[in-house]
Amino acid sequence: MLIRDLYYLSLHNLLLHKIRSFLTSLGIIFGVGSVIAMLAISGGAKNAALDQIAALGIDNIIVFTKSLKKPGGSESDPSRTLDYGLTHVDMKNIEKMENIRHITSIRNGRLQITRGVDVLDVEMFWVTPDFLKDLNCSIIRGRWLTPPDFKNAAPVCVIGRDVKRKLFNLGETEIIGRILHVPFGAFTIVGILENNAGTSIEGINSINDSIYIPSTTGRKVFSEYTAETGPRMLKIHHVEHDIFIVKVKDTQVIDHTARRITSLLNKTHDDKDWGIHVPLSLLKQKEQTQNIFTIVMGSIAAISLIVGGIGIMNIMLANVYERRKEIGTRRAMGAKKKDILFQFLIETVFLTTMGGVAGIGLGIGLSAAVTRFSGMPSDVSMWSIVGSITISGIVGVLFGTYPAWQAANQNPIDALKAE
Amino acid sequence: MYPQNNKDNAVREIIRLERLEKTYYLESLEVPVLKGIDLSIYNGELIGIMGVSGSGKSTMLNILGLLDVPTGGRYFLDGQEVRNFSDNALAQLRNAKIGFIFQSFNLSPHLTVEQNIEMPMVYAESPKKVRRERARELAERVGLGHRLKHRPRELSGGECQRIAIARALGNSPAYLLADEPTGNLDEKTSDEIMELFTGLHQEHHTTIVMVTHNPDLESLFDRVIHLRDGRVV
Ligand SMILES: Nc1ncnc2c1ncn2[C@@H]1O[C@H](COP(=O)(O)OP(=O)(O)O)[C@@H](O)[C@H]1O
Ligand SMILES: [Mg+2]
Repeated sequence: MLIRDLYYLSLHNLLLHKIRSFLTSLGIIFGVGSVIAMLAISGGAKNAALDQIAALGIDNIIVFTKSLKKPGGSESDPSRTLDYGLTHVDMKNIEKMENIRHITSIRNGRLQITRGVDVLDVEMFWVTPDFLKDLNCSIIRGRWLTPPDFKNAAPVCVIGRDVKRKLFNLGETEIIGRILHVPFGAFTIVGILENNAGTSIEGINSINDSIYIPSTTGRKVFSEYTAETGPRMLKIHHVEHDIFIVKVKDTQVIDHTARRITSLLNKTHDDKDWGIHVPLSLLKQKEQTQNIFTIVMGSIAAISLIVGGIGIMNIMLANVYERRKEIGTRRAMGAKKKDILFQFLIETVFLTTMGGVAGIGLGIGLSAAVTRFSGMPSDVSMWSIVGSITISGIVGVLFGTYPAWQAANQNPIDALKAE
Repeated sequence: MYPQNNKDNAVREIIRLERLEKTYYLESLEVPVLKGIDLSIYNGELIGIMGVSGSGKSTMLNILGLLDVPTGGRYFLDGQEVRNFSDNALAQLRNAKIGFIFQSFNLSPHLTVEQNIEMPMVYAESPKKVRRERARELAERVGLGHRLKHRPRELSGGECQRIAIARALGNSPAYLLADEPTGNLDEKTSDEIMELFTGLHQEHHTTIVMVTHNPDLESLFDRVIHLRDGRVV
């Protein structure tokens, strides 16, 4: 029998019973549909998470200060200086290491910023010049802090995009040049910065909600000592740096560099008053957990496809039984066993493949709907589409072979006698 | 174009049965149906097989048609013993040499008349164009050239059987096997179908083996084989 005739015949039989064919392939349609949608949504979530991690910079090592809850001092001494965190010496030592391009330092001003009597969720940071570039920020108004600002410890600041709304009234459009008053200081606003990459770093609440001054200014105006007062106590915190953004030259050996920094800090710090992150490693870990997630998804998909396949096998077996007379007649007309076998097998494969294609449509629709109504990102990947079609076809072969074999091995006489 | 043997008018034996037996084995029971049939069929013959119901007529026809295998004796088709043929070879022989006609027509209800007639030609892998043309000719020959695009349920029983006959002729088989082809038809339609058979036989010397239990038809056959109790009498 010619292949074309075989295809025609199988397709013809499927289209004869459109509703039945549709119902038969529902299992596959929903199986493939849910898999496509799940993969699209998890893929979207994964991309978002990866973007966020990547926004930290894959050539960065982030070292940060951890505040000590219980300092190694006695309660009998209610007023003492808590001395912890990353130091100037640490910075010098790290700068001297191999594979280091430069370090951006960030120091939390530990200030309460208020507007009238309201305490704002706005923080002030002392930063070094590379902050703007290293944290993927851009200036949308005015200018960034200049070398003379740093050199002269100028009383200037750059504010995050969303600070303006919190500090000033709506009508006040031009705020460059305005003076920002904070406890113990006043700063001229010289620029507004914005971060659109979604960079989030341990220790900075939100880049767009913060105020930035030159590190030299911070030290001069406020000093590195901060007082914490409470009932019958006064604690002085001495912290030199809160965050180092360490840019490396070669990301290939970034883990090695991070280990060197770790062992350096282990040696020079008695307490574990610091922490370290390597975004690239986080990225790899995240990818790994995503892969596990994908494997779990795949297993669920496999189960639903097996269930769908068994449904199809059942219907095809019934179909073979129902069409015994046709099978017998075809055999009498000269159909070989393999002609009958392929007729039914191709019918099943068509059925599952068309179910797969419909399922892909359903899956794309579902993920688009989820994105539309819940805002969760989704990303239908090409390989999930190609994979679904292939697997649908394979399901057809797996579950179509037995019914087709049954059809081909009908005894022609018995088949002819069937009603 | 039609099964024809008039080129060589020499009588040729196309089928020979020697002590052919068929026994059904049911659990503990042996049911002998054919108990040693000796028979020769020559080309161009119109043969009737008669006998009471259950005498083994269909069983014998199915064996002749290579759908069933004997349990004893020998069957020669064109001088070759069929016992040695593979399932594929048998299918090919059925396709090329044998035209089947059934009591209940066995047309595919979902295919058009044209597609039904084409069926054996599809298995012979003849090209679409050739099939179409041949199907039209054959439909015209059985007087239904105007019904090509119809479906079987739109036709009467007699018309269905005509289509089935056209279908059987598709690959110009060496002989037609018909199992009670008029069994489902009224008398008038029966006569028309028999006329078609005798017409084919006279015009083209088609070899036809027909099972019937209608004694009125006896006069139409060149030869009648009576089966009784599994033997030719
Ligand atoms: N598959 C079978 N198993 C057992 N007995 C059968 C089978 N097929 C036919 N027979 C028996 O063989 C005998 C002949 O049947 P059949 O050839 O159909 O008779 P006819 O066509 O002459 O009426 C019957 O007695 C029938 O019961
Ligand atoms: Mg019978």
